[in-house]
Amino acid sequence: MTAKLEIKNLSHRYRKGEEFAVSDLSLDVEPREFVALLGPSGCGKTTALKVISGLLAPTSGDVLVDGESILGVPPERRRAAMVFQKSLLFPNMSVEENVGFGLRMRKAGREESGRKVADALRQVRMDGFAYRRPGELSGGQQQRVALARALVTEPRLLLLDEPLSALDANLREEMRALVKRLQREGGYTTVFVTHDQEEAVVLADRIALLFGGELQMYDEPEAFYDRPASREAARFFGATNFIEGEAKNGSVDTPLGKLRLERSASPGETTLTIRPEAVRLDESGGENSFPATVSSATYLGTQVHYELEASGVVLRAALPPHVRLKKGDEITARLPAESLWALE
Amino acid sequence: MFRGLRVPGKGIRPSPNPARERLTRVGGRLKISLLLAPAVLVIGTLFIGGLYAALIQSLGYFPAIGQTEMSLSAYREVLSSGYFVDSLVLTVYVAVASTVISTTLAVLGALALRRSSGTVSAVVFQIPITIPHLVAAVGIALVVSQTGLGARFASALGLVGEPSDFPALLYDKYSVGIILTYVWKEVPFVALVVLAGLRGVAAELEEVAQTLGANAWQRFWHVIFPVIAPGVVAASLIVFAFTFGAFEVPYLLGQDFPTMLPVTAYNDYRSIELSDRPGAMAINIIIAVITALFAAAYLRLSRSLGRG
Repeated sequence: MTAKLEIKNLSHRYRKGEEFAVSDLSLDVEPREFVALLGPSGCGKTTALKVISGLLAPTSGDVLVDGESILGVPPERRRAAMVFQKSLLFPNMSVEENVGFGLRMRKAGREESGRKVADALRQVRMDGFAYRRPGELSGGQQQRVALARALVTEPRLLLLDEPLSALDANLREEMRALVKRLQREGGYTTVFVTHDQEEAVVLADRIALLFGGELQMYDEPEAFYDRPASREAARFFGATNFIEGEAKNGSVDTPLGKLRLERSASPGETTLTIRPEAVRLDESGGENSFPATVSSATYLGTQVHYELEASGVVLRAALPPHVRLKKGDEITARLPAESLWALE
Repeated sequence: MFRGLRVPGKGIRPSPNPARERLTRVGGRLKISLLLAPAVLVIGTLFIGGLYAALIQSLGYFPAIGQTEMSLSAYREVLSSGYFVDSLVLTVYVAVASTVISTTLAVLGALALRRSSGTVSAVVFQIPITIPHLVAAVGIALVVSQTGLGARFASALGLVGEPSDFPALLYDKYSVGIILTYVWKEVPFVALVVLAGLRGVAAELEEVAQTLGANAWQRFWHVIFPVIAPGVVAASLIVFAFTFGAFEVPYLLGQDFPTMLPVTAYNDYRSIELSDRPGAMAINIIIAVITALFAAAYLRLSRSLGRG
């Protein structure tokens, strides 16, 4: 049932002369893997998903499932079930009829269909709602039914197009856990589109970050924090400190002094990045430390965000609330070698 | 014990003033009534007033010829006459045929054009709507009469010998000219209603159904049709009511006998015998009652379809 998905040099534009919505995208998704297509709105992630589902034909490139191109296969025969941002339940059918829709279209036997629908409703904890109409359900319940309706068809690919973004925060967390559990249990090869980096990190085995239709980075969630591929990727994941410098002999010369990196940078001009929460205060003045002035402080409850100025470089630091500094304080800041990363 | 934690007036909705709310409600209703009054007055005078005048004349109250006693004799006479029954059958046939053909073609046309740009559907569907029925009837006559463009084309293509061999489609017993005019005029109207439904949520639901394995026919029957059905029913009801009660097209393109009910009523109304007037009014009232019955039945059906 699970399948390997390969996207090869995929490009799509809606009209001739327009810019490409997706440009030269290549991705491999392993069987049972959960991949998030992440990016700001308009970056081409939904377009890519619709091409995989067959609802859009690509301008160029190929989509392969288990090594075979599916471009010539119509959407209804791809077995790529899709869940959209809106639940899009069929308003003229009950919950039970909605969930059984795919099986009915496939002319599955009544007994088999009834059993699978009951199972699917139980999995999404909607078994008491079989005879309700979509209009009688809350937003979260509707989305659970939409999920059951997709899963009951035992798809080779599960395509999720921001299915949680219309839900409120509490419900979204509950649904994340449900999606993750069902995906793990069913072993569906899944592509999940989202603009929420936290959602992508929580759910995905790997994240594909897209900007302007182009793939910026495709890696495990931790990599986006520890070793971002570009300034844009680093910034999208909240790293706002960029220090220009020149790498030589295993360290980097910067306006802040010589900084040592645990993971060495290739010689030449480079940009170092460090996450605000990795910046330390260190009165002992060890490795990678330098004097700095606090230029602003914003109290956020669980953290305090500071702007530090040192040798013309502005750094952002997120420190725990028990460290209380005020504007104008002179401090010694330290950038731990293990948290510094040289961008390519 | 938690009294100390409560902050008076915070987070509690201020208690409403019932008298003030009632006054606001009454003021709102008065405003709506005043705004609606001019429209209601015109419709009331022309429509309900006219209907009332027709009703009392149909019941025999016609002081102009000295009749002031009310009775159902005009109805008895009309309903028992052969020409009325022939007229009614012809009218139902034309209205049903025009509605069924228009609705079918409109749904097919809207399905074909649903992914086209707005300009294409505007040209195809909106232009015929702006042309009056009278002009459309003359246009159809110019095309399908035995001396018309269609007959000459058919003759030039060798499909018929002489243009006069072209089948008689005007003033014929099957009312082909009338039905063609109605179809030409009403297809765009129904199609625009259907198109609005198709371009809304139906398009998204169809995509879902497609990814769930539904083929083109299954998508139409199980997903699209239930969504557009209330609109289709409502639009076809309007077409039926209009074609059942309209006068000018059957008057221009219809045969001499039997005529459609509105033409029959008009002929009786124009009769030099003023005593035919209650009969003419009785036919008009019968047309109104039949149309209203169909309207009620269709609306009920439309509501139940809407509920799914």
